[in-house]
Parts: sequence; structure tokens; C-alpha cells
Amino acid sequence: MKNTKKVLIKPSTIILLVACALFIVFIPLRYSGYNLMLYNTALIYAIVVFGLSLMLGMGGQLTFAGLAFMGAGTFYVANLCSGRWGFWVNNSLALITTPIVTGLLGFLIGSVLLKLKGTYFTFSTIALVQVAYSFYQNSRPISGGPDGISNIAPLRILGFEFNNYKRWFYLLVVLVIIVALIIERIRRTRFGRSLAAIRDNETAALTLGINVYRTKVIAFAITAMLGGLAGGLYAMQGRFAGSDMFTFERSTLFIIMGMIGGINNTFGVVIGSILVAMLPEWLRSLQRYLQLIYGLSVIVLMIFMPMGLAGIGSEMCKRIKRKITGIHAKKALEEAKK
Amino acid sequence: MIFNVLTALALNGFAMGMIYALMAMGIILLIRAIGVLNFAQGDMLMLGAYISLALIVDLKLPLLIMIPVALLSFAAVALIFMFGVYWPLRNASYPAAIVIATMGAGIAIKEFVTLVWGSLPMPMPALILDKETGGGKILRIGSTYLPWQMILTICVGAGAIWLVFILFEKMYAGRMMQAAAQDKFAAEMLGIPTIVTTAATYIISIILACIGGFMVGPMFTVNVTLGTLQLRAFAGVIIGGLGNIKGAIIGALLVGMVESFATIRFLAYKDAVVFLMLIVFLIFRPQGLFGEKISDKA
Repeated sequence: MKNTKKVLIKPSTIILLVACALFIVFIPLRYSGYNLMLYNTALIYAIVVFGLSLMLGMGGQLTFAGLAFMGAGTFYVANLCSGRWGFWVNNSLALITTPIVTGLLGFLIGSVLLKLKGTYFTFSTIALVQVAYSFYQNSRPISGGPDGISNIAPLRILGFEFNNYKRWFYLLVVLVIIVALIIERIRRTRFGRSLAAIRDNETAALTLGINVYRTKVIAFAITAMLGGLAGGLYAMQGRFAGSDMFTFERSTLFIIMGMIGGINNTFGVVIGSILVAMLPEWLRSLQRYLQLIYGLSVIVLMIFMPMGLAGIGSEMCKRIKRKITGIHAKKALEEAKK
Repeated sequence: MIFNVLTALALNGFAMGMIYALMAMGIILLIRAIGVLNFAQGDMLMLGAYISLALIVDLKLPLLIMIPVALLSFAAVALIFMFGVYWPLRNASYPAAIVIATMGAGIAIKEFVTLVWGSLPMPMPALILDKETGGGKILRIGSTYLPWQMILTICVGAGAIWLVFILFEKMYAGRMMQAAAQDKFAAEMLGIPTIVTTAATYIISIILACIGGFMVGPMFTVNVTLGTLQLRAFAGVIIGGLGNIKGAIIGALLVGMVESFATIRFLAYKDAVVFLMLIVFLIFRPQGLFGEKISDKA
């Protein structure tokens, strides 16, 4: 009789879920203040990287634009909630409208830029990041110029004020989980499969009747929404919005976060973001060599594991599985011999 | 008065355009030959500037010895770069992996330079020194002041680019490289050693960027942020048409000019002007100034 027992949840998923639960429970217990804020920032980065992973991992389109939209979200929230335009908007209202506004912005910009293909599109997003940065850096009406915008009111949802990093941590964990679930869901929809088809072969996708252009524009708009949401959170958590965050160098960092974790893997994105954001903290003693090690390890990782750490994980799982099934097969063979 | 300013701006734009053109040409050569967008090109320029600085200031080599030594070390850098970042990845399943690896290389180079030379900007003497002031010599025509370093940059850049053109158009080795770039498989069938042609392409491309660094060092100080110049070179590449060398050079010169003249009115926004120009170009003429058809190789 064949053994056709089907496992509902894979053991690897259980391990990951346990790891996540441990992370959620222990991080706020162990860290506070500055260190916890770093974790919070890493989680905010993860939201941006989710957007990039949608474009690059699912759709195969390398885009740097996530950071430009993160900036848009940051300064949108900063302007509405600091009263520098002479009026105050309810904080949660501002935060909720951020993804909508940046999503629309992304839709408009995307519908122009995505007329371009492949490398041309990548170049145009580089240009977008540069243009956006130069406005964030210099334009006083938008971003307060070099001074930035301070005095952003703390986030308050239904009377509950998020005034310390612990509360922020839980809020961000919930948001990251929601975004991760949405991304996982998208992967399984017609839209997600269209994106994957475009990644694998654009011409073939076209002949299958997929509206390549529209699919890409929608994906770009989702990237912009996630970037904007992350930007809004970033502004509210730090209660300050400055332009230093939005340089082109930073946006390569976000791509690297995605690639290190595994660009097409939802867990990988979170792991990559936390790794890249926290490494400077963890390796304080190696500060001098940190960036060097980091750059070299990106190269090494790309050489040996282009699918990132998540790729290593799934590869190991496969191997262990093979070994276990191999043992079973051997036993069965021996028994059969007897 | 206005004329003086305009002449000075034009010279500045032309010289910077030449630097961008040197980088842009390297980028294009790599894209054509191996289909890789090199995000470390700007950092190569920076490394070139630092190597030249070390040879001139620390070792105090005379120019005639310094130039061959510098070229050799640039070539060595190119080979290390190729065998470190491209060669192990040439059959990667994920095309973005090579691009990401060049980004990682860029970070590593930046940090390497900071570790060796420190993070403070360092002044680099101009090639032609003024004996009285000790600074770079300046050509005075009437009341117009033109630094010799910029004029030299234009000459050296044009010379280097011309030499590469000669190599590709007139010489057998260059034809072999072009054949290998067009169809690697067929070239290998014809007995062309593609590893050698790829290495040669890398050497030429990196040397061009490093010469840019050597020339640009005295104009600014030598520092780590020189790497960001590569974005302007990218802009030039696109404006000229991806895959078209002549177009890329003209595009890069145009970027230099626009950037220089943009300082008249939009000093703080000169980056925005350059890249908005790029976006406008991308939208209305995505094939670039001289591109015949859109082809996407990288």
C-alpha cells in the first residue's frame, strides 16, 4: 500500500512560524529604546522591500522607485501632521490615506515609465529616485529643505497613542504580517501568475492574452502604495522627516535587502531587511570592516545562492527531506530483501 | 562679462561631459559584450582617482613613469573585478544576480578605499601646475579664465575614446571583440577565445573609467562620493541610445553641458534638471538620440 499521507502544513513552515513567534515575543522583552527602534525601522524597511519583491521577484522588473515613494509617503504625512501648512489632519486618517495617495502617484508615474522595457525602465526609475531626492533635499515647501520637518504628532488610533517603541513594534509586526499575507495572496491570484509569466517570458505572456503593460502598471502602483505606507510609518515613528534617507545609495540597499533574503520569498524579504538593517548594530566591534565584509558577502551570496538566504533554507529542507526519505527507502529495501 | 561666464560654463560642461563619456563608453562596452549593467563603474572611477593620487603624491613618480604604472594597475583592477564579480556568475539563473553583485562590489570598493586612504577628501595636484600660486595653471584669454586641467581633460578623454574607436573599427582584435559581443556561441565556433575578448573588454572599460578618475581628481578633491558621477553617465548612455557608443558619448557630453548651464538658474536642482531631461527623453524618444530600434539585451 502506498503511503499517501498528505501533510497539511509543511514542517519548514512550522519552524518559520515558531521562529516568528519567538521573534515577536522576545525582541520587545530584550531590547528597548534605541535598539528596539532599529528593529522597528527594519520592519518598516521590510514593507518597502515587499513592494520591490513584488516587482522584481514576481515580475522580474528591477526598480529602484520604492524609496522615492517612501519619501513621498514620509513627506505627505509629515506635512499633514506637523501643522506647518497651518492645519492639522487626524493622524490615523493621514496614515490611511498615504498608500492611496502614493498608489495613485505610482499609477500615474508607472503608466508613463512602464512604456519602457527592461533596462530602460530600470534606468528611468534611477532617474526618478534622483529627481525625487533633489526635490526632497532642496524644496522647502515639500520637505523643509535641509532642515527637514520635525514636530510630527504621534500616531493615535481610536484614542490609543503609540508613544513608545514597544507599542510601535507590535503595530509594525501586525502591519508586516498583513502585508505579507496580502503579498502571499497576490502570488496565488490571476494577477500574480500573470506577473510571473511576464517575468519568465514577456512575449509568451503577451501571446497568452495577458495585458503586460497593465499588469506591470498595477504592480508598480502596489509597490508605490507599500513604499508610501512605509514612508508614513517612518515619519510617524521617528516624528521627524529628513531627506538623508532617500538617496540613490539607500535604494540600492533596499534591492540588496531583497536579494539577500530571497527576492521571491515572503519570509526571506523580512529576514533580509532585518539582517541588512541590524548588521551595523550586531557587528559594532567590526565597524571599520563592516561595509567591506558586507559588500563582499553580497557578491559571494549572489555567486553561490542567487535566490538568497531563503533559497539556502529551502535547499537545506529539500536535502534533509531527501535524506529522510532515502533512509526510509533503504529500510524498505532491506525489509523487502529479507 | 556674460560671454566670459558662458565660455567658462561651456568649458566646464564639456570637461565634465568628457568624464561622463569615458564612463558611459565603458558601461556600453560591457552591456554590449556581456549584457551586464555595471553599477560599480562610478566606484571604478573613484578607485582610479585614488590610485593616481597614490602614485603621484605618495610615491612621487614622474608623469612619464606614472602613466604606464597607472594603466597597468587599472588593468589589474579590471581583471580582479572580472574574475571576482562576473566570471563566477556568468551562468547565473537569475539575471539580476550579476547586477546586484556589481552593486555589492561598489560597496566593497568604497569601503576598501575608505579603509586604505581614510574618509577625508584629499586634494590632488593638477597636471599642469602654476609655478607662482602652486595651484593648477589657468589659461587667461582677455578676462576669461580657463583652467588647463579642464582643457587637458577634454583632450585626454577625446584621445582615449578615439583610440578605442580605432581599436574597434580598424584592428583585427577589435573585430574579434565585436564578433564575440554579437554572438558568443558563433564566435567560439570560429575559434575566437571569448574569455580573452571578455577580459579585454573589461580592461578597456575599467581603464576608461579610471582615466576619468585620474582627470577628474584635480577638478574636485579626491573623495568617496566621486562614485555618484556614474548616475550622470547612465543618463548619458540612455539619452544616446543603449547599445550605441557614439550616441552614448554625445549623450554624456549633453548631460555635462546641461548640468553646467543648469547652474545658472537652478543651482540646487541641477540634478533634477539632468534627470528630468532623462525622463523626458525616455518618454518621447526611448530609443535615444541615435538608437535605431529598441533592443533590450541587459
